[in-house]
Amino acid sequence: MRKDFEKLFSHLEPAEPPAGLFDRIILAIKREQELRHTKRLLFGFLILLVTSFITTPFSWTILVNQIESSGISYFISTTLSDFGTFLILWQDFSLAILESLPLTGMMVFAISIGISIFTLRLFLYKKRLLLGYLTQSFA
Amino acid sequence: MSMDSDQQLIVDYLAGDGKSLEILIHRYLKPIYSFVHRYVGNEQEAEDITQEVFVKVWRNFKKFDQNKSFKTWIFTIAKNTSFDFLKKKKTIPFSEFENDEGENKLIETLADPAPLPDELLKRVGIGEMLNVAINQLAPKYRMVLFLRYNEHFAFREIAELLGESINTIKSRHKRSIALLKKLLT
Repeated sequence: MRKDFEKLFSHLEPAEPPAGLFDRIILAIKREQELRHTKRLLFGFLILLVTSFITTPFSWTILVNQIESSGISYFISTTLSDFGTFLILWQDFSLAILESLPLTGMMVFAISIGISIFTLRLFLYKKRLLLGYLTQSFA
Repeated sequence: MSMDSDQQLIVDYLAGDGKSLEILIHRYLKPIYSFVHRYVGNEQEAEDITQEVFVKVWRNFKKFDQNKSFKTWIFTIAKNTSFDFLKKKKTIPFSEFENDEGENKLIETLADPAPLPDELLKRVGIGEMLNVAINQLAPKYRMVLFLRYNEHFAFREIAELLGESINTIKSRHKRSIALLKKLLT
């Protein structure tokens, strides 16, 4: 019976997809790919933005506290007030300043500033894409 | 056109070969369009749904179980997309999709496993006649016949695709044949 029906159904011309449908599908998939990419970019951008908003003031406070509690301000003010002595003992002075540097605070602050700059740069480079996506999403 | 298996093409695509996706789309464009067209009965809508089907396939590639048949998977997506579309349009009489096991003595008595008469096949314009007859069938009957005789699916695959038991599909097939014979004679 199956063969008979297969023979019968062979008379039924399958509907031909219109010309251009293949290209339309490829285009739609590319659009979806771009959309997915933009979504990821936006998500990354928001994460970075929030991170930099939280870490920058926080790391700045850490840096200021570490500078205040270290002897670096004392060494710098001595250097400026007694430049002659500094010139004579510059090696010891430099070493003392280097030793008293608040390295952790400086590193944390540098990283958070780096993140902020990268976020700003990302926004400036991709602002049309990000704003376009947001406009479309909320329109 | 590459003769790689569907599974191989998917593996290649997931490994970054964009051409594999194009080959897959090319391979299934006609069967899927034809299936959707048969389901919704409108060219423009079939075109939009076909596009949506392939976009969905692309979106869910990573979720596809490569131990299963890609053909069954893509036809399932096509069926679900067409069904959702018609549901939105509310053109399906939903009673058609309910109580599938319900007995219909009249139809059951019409069932005849004998081959169709040869003369019938020789008639001029049989394609047109068949087309008209098939379009008069409810979508669930139409789909079983189409998948079985146009796309050469096994009952097990049709059952998997339509999310029904194999016995339901077999009885639905029997009823479809009976109805079709009735319409053709």
